[in-house]
Amino acid sequence: MSQKQARWAVGVLGTLGVATMIVLHWMVFFWVPTESRMGLVQRIFYIHPAAWWIAFLGFGIVGLCSAAYLWLGDERLDRAAVTGAEAGMVFTTIGLITGPLWGRVAWGTWWEWEPRLTLALILWFIYLGYFLVRRSTANPEQGKRFGAVIGVIGVLDIPLIHVSVTWLRSLHPEAVILSADSPMNLDPSMGVTFGVGLLAFTLVFASLFLARYTVAGYEHELDLRDGIPAATQGAKA
Amino acid sequence: MRAYLALVWAVARKDLMVEFRTRERLTAMGAFAVLVGLLFNFSMDTAVVRPQDIAGALIWMTIIFGGLLGMGRTFRLEEEDGALTGILQSPIPLDALYLGKVLGNFVLLSVMTVLVFLVFGLFFDLRFSGSSVTLVAVVALGVLGFVSLTTLFSAMATRSSMGESLLPVLVFPLLVPVVVYGTTATDRLFAGRPVVEVGGNLRMLAAFAIMFTVAGAWLFRFVIEE
Repeated sequence: MSQKQARWAVGVLGTLGVATMIVLHWMVFFWVPTESRMGLVQRIFYIHPAAWWIAFLGFGIVGLCSAAYLWLGDERLDRAAVTGAEAGMVFTTIGLITGPLWGRVAWGTWWEWEPRLTLALILWFIYLGYFLVRRSTANPEQGKRFGAVIGVIGVLDIPLIHVSVTWLRSLHPEAVILSADSPMNLDPSMGVTFGVGLLAFTLVFASLFLARYTVAGYEHELDLRDGIPAATQGAKA
Repeated sequence: MRAYLALVWAVARKDLMVEFRTRERLTAMGAFAVLVGLLFNFSMDTAVVRPQDIAGALIWMTIIFGGLLGMGRTFRLEEEDGALTGILQSPIPLDALYLGKVLGNFVLLSVMTVLVFLVFGLFFDLRFSGSSVTLVAVVALGVLGFVSLTTLFSAMATRSSMGESLLPVLVFPLLVPVVVYGTTATDRLFAGRPVVEVGGNLRMLAAFAIMFTVAGAWLFRFVIEE
């Protein structure tokens, strides 16, 4: 994809994403009926799992692109991995903020060692480690490899961490929206709002991803431009 | 295969011999274990908390913090003397180098772990009534999992400008399964529960150890190269 096409795609996806996001918030606040058991606070479910889904998508991208980068050594794969990590960290943060907001009302405490919340916190710190190692080397190529190693190890470890924290304790409402014999009185409009939420977050993510990926490409070009004359000077001297 | 194992052993043997002669890391780790036991003793009001109930947590935290102290220096000696370049230029496969380092660290940390159990048993008057074979298996698998990850990341820390301060940030989040399964299994065995109750823990600790030893052996080459 050329840079012009990429800019167009970012614009179109971004506009669509923001528009859907506005529609989503209108639906959440004014359109969808209030759930009978949990009350108003249940409305955060149209936003929280959607952010969660993007956080995992981001992490999946980091893992896949990191492994492929180590294997093939293609610069573009590293760019995709770091883009996925940045978006993933932002959406993990959103999940970490909206989760306790709901938990304060539903559980009565801000923080609960509930498996998914715990996993989100651990995920956040793995992302942090990813960014730390990338910047901690004198040689940027080495930093990229280090980041990729963290990405691969993190993705391998996530299922084990998930199983272990779930095994230790479980309080989370078990996917009430998806189960067929759900005790919740699910109005069809709730399903629609939930779907719009997923769509809005995915569109915003796609545009952010493309934009950041394009910028990473520019950065790479600048590095090359800065790097090549310096190298020639070095050779002359 | 035999030649490969000989290479792994050569690396581990060299590390252990250096350690045996200098006793640098082992002294630091051993002193750390005993002193932490001492501090734990002062940090607990035994009228309210029974040390027996939280023995697993105390022991595992000491193994992890003390272990990190020693493991962080895995590549320090080579780095300082410029010997790493020499090793990298030798015809040894990099995964054999990694496995040798893991083996050396595993032996070292096992020695410290035995010390931790002895000291904590003595300091807190812990009574062990469970299956000791199972306890050894739990600890050995947990330590192997821990060592496989920290050896990989200590190579990374050695190469980075942040040095050893990087290690806890990288390792602690990834180590959650070892802490969860290691601690609960140790607590249950100390409480004299039947071996069946820790079967799941053993399987998960084994999965962790195998997975990250294999992954580490593959990923090590990307970390150690300049």
